[in-house]
Amino acid sequence: MDVFGSFALVLALVCAVYAFVGGIGAIGTRHPLLVKSTRQAGIAACCLIFLATFSLEYLFFSDNFANAYVVSHSNRDLSTFYKIAALWSGQEGSLLFWSFLLAVYVFSVLITYRNKNGELMPYVGVVMAGVQIFFLTLNNFVASPFKALAVPGANGAMNLVARADGNGLTPLLQYPEMVIHPPNLYAGYTGFTIPFAFALGALLARYPGEKWIHLTRKWTMIAWMFQSMGILLGAHWAYAVLGWGGYWGWDPVENASLLPWLTGTAFLHSVMMQEKRGMMKVWNVWLVFCTFALCILGTLLTRSGVVSSVHAFAQSSIGTWFVSFLVLILVVCLGAYLKNRDYLKSENQLDAIVSRESSFLFNNLMLLVACVAVLSGTLFPVFSEWFTGDRISVGAPFFNKVNVPIGLLLLFLTGVGPLLAWRKTSTESLKRNFGMPLAIGIAGGVVAFALGVREFYSLVCFILCVFVASTIALEFYRGAKVIRTRSGASLLSSAVDLTMRNTRRYGGYIVHLGMVLVFIGLAGAAFNRDTQKEMQLGSTMQIGPYTLVLQSVDSRPERNYTAQRMIIEVMRDNKPIMMLYPEKRRFVTTVENGTMVAIYSTLKEDLYVVFAGQSPDTQLPVIHAYLNPLVKWIWLGGAVVVLGTLVALLPNRRAVLVLAGASEPTMATPTLQPRLTPSVITREGHD
Amino acid sequence: MIKMRRLAASGALLAIALLLILPLGAQDLSDRAKQIGGKFMCMCSCSQVLTQCNHVGCTTSTSMLKELNQSLASGSSETAITQMFVQEFGTKVYAEPPKSGFSLVAWTLPSIYLIFGTLLVVFVISRWRKHALEPVAGAGNAAIPQELLERARARAARETED
Repeated sequence: MDVFGSFALVLALVCAVYAFVGGIGAIGTRHPLLVKSTRQAGIAACCLIFLATFSLEYLFFSDNFANAYVVSHSNRDLSTFYKIAALWSGQEGSLLFWSFLLAVYVFSVLITYRNKNGELMPYVGVVMAGVQIFFLTLNNFVASPFKALAVPGANGAMNLVARADGNGLTPLLQYPEMVIHPPNLYAGYTGFTIPFAFALGALLARYPGEKWIHLTRKWTMIAWMFQSMGILLGAHWAYAVLGWGGYWGWDPVENASLLPWLTGTAFLHSVMMQEKRGMMKVWNVWLVFCTFALCILGTLLTRSGVVSSVHAFAQSSIGTWFVSFLVLILVVCLGAYLKNRDYLKSENQLDAIVSRESSFLFNNLMLLVACVAVLSGTLFPVFSEWFTGDRISVGAPFFNKVNVPIGLLLLFLTGVGPLLAWRKTSTESLKRNFGMPLAIGIAGGVVAFALGVREFYSLVCFILCVFVASTIALEFYRGAKVIRTRSGASLLSSAVDLTMRNTRRYGGYIVHLGMVLVFIGLAGAAFNRDTQKEMQLGSTMQIGPYTLVLQSVDSRPERNYTAQRMIIEVMRDNKPIMMLYPEKRRFVTTVENGTMVAIYSTLKEDLYVVFAGQSPDTQLPVIHAYLNPLVKWIWLGGAVVVLGTLVALLPNRRAVLVLAGASEPTMATPTLQPRLTPSVITREGHD
Repeated sequence: MIKMRRLAASGALLAIALLLILPLGAQDLSDRAKQIGGKFMCMCSCSQVLTQCNHVGCTTSTSMLKELNQSLASGSSETAITQMFVQEFGTKVYAEPPKSGFSLVAWTLPSIYLIFGTLLVVFVISRWRKHALEPVAGAGNAAIPQELLERARARAARETED
C-alpha cells in the first residue's frame, strides 16, 4: 500500500504540473479542449491525493510497521480514534494532510464552477495548481510519508525491515480535541488558497467588475470559520491537556494561527467597501495576498524551527522550501499588481468622516496593527539574535500589554461600525443609535464595579461588551419590530425572519455577539486564582467557595497507558456537588507522561484541578487547583461565532411581490383583459 | 488586678495581631514569588512563563521556582534575583524584552505601527473627502449621458441593497 500511495502522489504531481502548464497554454490559446483537459487534470490530481491519503490511513489501521512514518507515530495498542489523528501528528503526514485538504477545496471549486466564469476559471485553476505543485513536491521529494523502514546493513547498504510494534503517538496528542483541532486549523490555512487564487486570477485576467469578490466571499468565510474553530479548539486543547490553567500562551505557533485570521477578518470587513462603494480594490487584493502569505509563513514558523515552541514539529531543513515559496508568492503578486494595477482603479470618495466607510478603515487599521504587532513580537527573538547576538524571549506579558488595548479598541469598533450609515451619519442618527447602548454599557460598568471588578482593562472590557451586545440587540429588535407590525408574528419569529431575509448582515451580528462572549471570557482571566498543596487521604484544600477532599488515589492500567488517578470530592457550603478525577498517565511505548485535567465548569467559573505529581520529599500526591472565572464564555462565544458564520453563508430569503386575485384570460372571451386587483401580498422565496 | 487585666488584654491583642500577620506574611511571600516568577520564562523551551509552566515532566520550572523561593526566603531583592537568573540563563530568561537597548525596539514598534497607520488612515480619509467635494465635470448640463445614468443607477442599487 505504501508503493500505491507513493505512486498516487507522483501521478498527482504530474497531473498538477499538467494543470499548471496546460492552464497557461489554455489562457493563451483559449482552446476549449485544452481548457477542459487542464480542469480534468486538476480534478484527477485531487482524486490521486485523496487516494494517497487514504492509503496512508490504511497503513495506520493495518499496523504496517514496515513504514517509517507509521512506526514513528503509531503502535498496536493505539485506539482507532487516534490512528486517524496519527496521520497529521508528524511532519510528513501533516504535509500530506495539508495537500489532502487543499485538494478538497480545489476539487470543490473546479466542480462548482466547471461551467461558469469561463474567462476567470483558467487563471484560478493555474494558481491553485501552482500551490498544489509546491505541496506535492514536498510530499514526493522532501517529506514523503511513504518511506519504508530501513536500517544500514553490514555492507553499508540499507536493508528494509519491519518492526513488531511502533513507537506510539505522542501523549499530548492523545486527546479527543487533537482529532478535530488540526483538521480545522489546516482547513482554515488551506482554505485561504481559494480567495488567493481568485484574487490573483482576477488580477491577472483583468476580470471586470466585482464578481470575483462575490465568488470569493463565501470561500473566505468558510476558511475563516475553520480558522476560528481551529484556534478555539487549540486553545481548549491547551487548557484541558497542558494543565497550566490557561488557554492562550502567545506561543509562536498559536500566534502563527492568529495572523491570517486577523488579516482574513480585515478582508471580510473591507470587502464590503468594494461591493457597496467600489472602494479599496488595491487594499482588498493585497489583504488576500497577505492572508495567504501569512498562512505559508505560519507553516514555516511551525515547521522550520525558526522560533522555539512546544507545538512545533521537529526542526528540519524544510524551512528553506517555505521561504523560497513565500518569496515566489510575493514576487508573483507584486509582479501581477505592478503589471495590472490600473485595473484596480477605485471609485474612492468619502462623503462624510462619520460614516460606515470610516469605521471600516479604522477596523482594518486595528486588525492590521494587531497583526504586525503579533508578527514582530513573534519574530523579535530572531531579529534580536541577528543584531545583538543575544536571543531575547518575548512571552505572554509582552503580547498582553500590547494587544489588550488594541483588542478593546476593536471591540469598541464592533459596536460602533454597524450603527453608522453608509456615506454619512447624521447627528440625530448618532444620538438615536448610540444613546441607549451607551447608557446600558455604562450601567453595566457600574454593576461590574459594584460586583468588585477593579482591574482597569477588565472593567473597560465589561462596559464595551455590554455596549456592543446592546447595539446588536437593538438592531435585531428594531428590525423584528417592523416585521412583527406587518406580519403579526411573535418578536422571536420576526427576528428569525429578519435574519433569514438578510443572512449576511444578521449573521455578521451573530458573529459579533459571539466575539462579545469571547471577550467576556477573556476579561475573566484577570481574576484567576490558584493554589497548590500536598494532600493526604482525607485532607482538604480550599479554593474560592470550593473545598476539595482527597478521597483516594488509585492506579488503573489501560490499553496504551497506565493512569494514576486522584478521586476528589468537591464540596460547596459543606454540601458535596461532584467528584473530580484528575489523572496522570504513563504511556508504555513512549515512556512519557501525560495529564488529564479535571474541570468543573459553570458559567461563573471553572474549577480546574491538576494532578501535579508526587512531592519528591514526602511522596504525597500534589494537587494544583485553579479557579478561572468566565472561561466557559469563551467556548460558548466560539460556538456562536460558528453559528453566525453558518447563517451568513445561507442565501437570503426575500419577500417577493405576487399579484393577488389575478385571473387567467379565458378562451371564450379572448378580447377581455385579465382583471387585476390592486392589492398585493408578499410571499417568501429564496433568491 | 486592673493592670494585670490590661496586660492580658494587650497580650491577647498582640497574639491575635501576630496570628493575623504571620499567615499574611507567608501569603505575601507566595504572592511575591508569583509576581516575580511571572517576569521570567521557563527555560525548558516551552515558551511559557515560569509560574505557568506546568507541563508534565518539566524539571526546569520546578528547580527555577525552588531557586526563586530560596532567594526570596534569604531576603534577596528582585534586582538580585533577576541578575541571578540572567547570569544563569542569559537574557532570554526575561518573559518580556527589557525596556532598554535593542529590546526597546520591540516595545516601540507597536506604537509606531499605530501612529503610522492612524496617520495613513487620516490621510486616506482626507484625500477621499477631497474627491467627494470636487465638482463633477460638466455638471449643470441638462443632458446626462445614458451610460453615466446607468452607472449611477447600478451604483445606487448596489449601495441600497444592504
